[in-house]
Amino acid sequence: MLRKEQNDYLCQTNAGTPMGEMFRCYWMPALLSEELPEPDCPPVRIKLLGERLLAFRDSEGKLGLIDEFCAHRGVSLWFGRNEECGLRCPYHGWKYDVTGQCVDVPSEPEESGYAKKIKLKSYPLIEKGGVLWTYMGPPEKQPPEPMWEFCTVPLNQSFMTKRLQENNWLQAMEGGIDSSHVSFLHRGDLSNDPLFKGAAGNKYNLGDMRPVFEVVENEGGLLIGARRNAEDDQYYWRITPWVMPCYTGVPPRGDHPIHGHFWVPIDDENCWAWSYDYHPTRPLTESEVAAMKDGKGIHVKYVPGTYRPLANKDNDYLMNRAAQKAGKTFSGIEGIGMQDASLQESMGPICDRTKENLVGTDNGIIMARHRLMRAAKALVEKGITPPGVDPEHHKVRQAALLLKRDVQYKDGAKEALKVKPGVRQTSV
Amino acid sequence: MLSESARMTTAHEASFRIQYPNSKPRAAKVIALDGESAKLVDEIAQQKWNGAKFFTSLSFASGAEPGTTGAGMKAWLSDLAGRAMDLVAEVAESDFVVVITAAGEDARAVSVVADACKLHNKTLIGLVVPKAGASEADVGASLDHLRPHTRMLVVASGRDYIEVMLTALRA
Repeated sequence: MLRKEQNDYLCQTNAGTPMGEMFRCYWMPALLSEELPEPDCPPVRIKLLGERLLAFRDSEGKLGLIDEFCAHRGVSLWFGRNEECGLRCPYHGWKYDVTGQCVDVPSEPEESGYAKKIKLKSYPLIEKGGVLWTYMGPPEKQPPEPMWEFCTVPLNQSFMTKRLQENNWLQAMEGGIDSSHVSFLHRGDLSNDPLFKGAAGNKYNLGDMRPVFEVVENEGGLLIGARRNAEDDQYYWRITPWVMPCYTGVPPRGDHPIHGHFWVPIDDENCWAWSYDYHPTRPLTESEVAAMKDGKGIHVKYVPGTYRPLANKDNDYLMNRAAQKAGKTFSGIEGIGMQDASLQESMGPICDRTKENLVGTDNGIIMARHRLMRAAKALVEKGITPPGVDPEHHKVRQAALLLKRDVQYKDGAKEALKVKPGVRQTSV
Repeated sequence: MLSESARMTTAHEASFRIQYPNSKPRAAKVIALDGESAKLVDEIAQQKWNGAKFFTSLSFASGAEPGTTGAGMKAWLSDLAGRAMDLVAEVAESDFVVVITAAGEDARAVSVVADACKLHNKTLIGLVVPKAGASEADVGASLDHLRPHTRMLVVASGRDYIEVMLTALRA
C-alpha cells in the first residue's frame, strides 16, 4: 500500500518531477535500429518521459533526436523532408541538423545569421546492440554508454522487440520483479512455449507452487531469489535482477536464450515494454528467431505496421475462454507478454496503490519502490547519482541453479550473477 | 464499438472504480529476536499502527528450547510494557508474523516462533537489518538462522525498511 502522494511520486516522470529527473540520469532504449534503417530514411515520432520528440538519421548516417515541432510555427517535423544532412520543415522550409540547430531559414538572408539563433532541444542518440539509446539529462552529467550484456554480444546472438503497453511504467515494471505470478499466470507456457519448454528446471516451477523468497539489495538495485524444493537436499533457485530504474531480467531456462525487459515511460499512462533475448555464447538459431518473430516467449505479434500488440484492449486481448477452461492458458490470453500486459492494463492507466493489499511475498516490490523513492530523493535534494547509472551495475546476469540447502544464494550464485563474456549462462 | 476492456482502462473510467474499504485490519505481530533489534522495534512501535503488536524479547520455559514443538512449546514474548505474553496465543491470533534480527546477532530463537507459526499455519517474514561493524559473514550467519523458517526473507541496507515494509503491509 502506498499513500496517494507516494504513488504520484513514483508514477510521474515528466520533466521537473523527482522520478522524471531520475529517469533523465540514465541511457534509455528509445528506438529499435530497424526504425531508422538507413541515411535519409523517414523520421520517426517518439514520446519519452512526456516529451514529444522526433528521431532521424541524416544523409551521413548521423543520428538525431530533437523536439518534434518546428520553432517557426509549431508544425510537426514528422512531415519534414530528410535530405542533405538535415530535416526540412515542409511548411516554410526551415531546416534542422541532428543537434536541433537550425541551419536554414529560406525567408531570411543567409548573411543575417538568423538560423544560428534558432535551436531545438535535442538529445544524444547512440546505436548499440540493435537499439538506439538516448540520454535526456544535463549534458555535463552524461554517463558512459550502457553495458548491458545483450547489447555487447554480436548481433546474431541477440533479438530485441518493443511493444506499446497502455499503462503507467511502474505497474508494468513491478510485474517484472514479481516472480511469484509465474507459477499461475504463465504455467501453461512452461510446457508449450518453444522458448521455455524442455528445461529441466521447469519441473521445479510446476512441482512447488509456494516458492520462498529472499530479497537482497545490491549496488544497482535488487536481487530477488525464489527458491523451490529440489531433490538431494538442494533448492532450485531462480534469481531475478532488478537494476534501477526499469531493468528486469528473467531467470533463464535450460539453454534457451536469456531474456528480460526495460519498462520505459512514454508518459504517465503509457510505457514501452522492451523485450530482449540473447545467448552469451552462440548465435540464436533460425527456429528461435522465427519463434520470437512469431510472438513467442516474451515477444508479441503486432498490429501490422505498428508496435502495438495484435491482442490489445480494443479486442479484449483476443480472450479465449475455451483455452482457459482447457488449462492451455491460465487467463485465457495467449502469450507471456500479453498475459502480463492485459492484466497490468486492467489495473487502470495508473494503478491506485492506496487500495492494494500486499502480502509478505510482495517484498521485492515493496523494496523496489522504497529504493526508487530513496534514490530520487537523494538525487533531488543532494545531487547524488542514483544506482544503475554506473555501467558496472549493468553487468549482472539472471541465473537459475541448484544449490545445497545450507548455501546462501548470494554466495552460491555469486559467479553465476556476473557477466562473463564468452561464458554460458548458469541455468537448469 | 469500443470493447469493454478499452472502456474500463481509461483514466475517466478508472475514476468510477468503486471506493470502499476492501480489507479489514490485519493483525501483525512484530518480534525482535535480539537486543539490537529490540531497540529498533521499541522505536518503531511508538508510531501509529493499524493494529500491529510489537514484542521486544522472547524467553523460554526451562526445557523448552528452540526446536520444541506443539503443546510442549512454552515461550513468552515481552511487550512494550514489559508484560509477558504467550507466544503461541499471540501467533494464533495473528495474520502474519515478522521477526527482526540485526546482522550477526544470535537469531536462533526464530525456530520457536516458526514452530508456533507452523502450528497455526501463519506466514513468517524475516528481516535482517544492518548493524554497525557487521560483516558479510555476519549477515550470512543471520540468514542461516532465518532461512529454514521464513517464507520471505529480506536483507535491508537501512533500518528504515522495517517501517516501510510494515506500512506497505497495512500492519
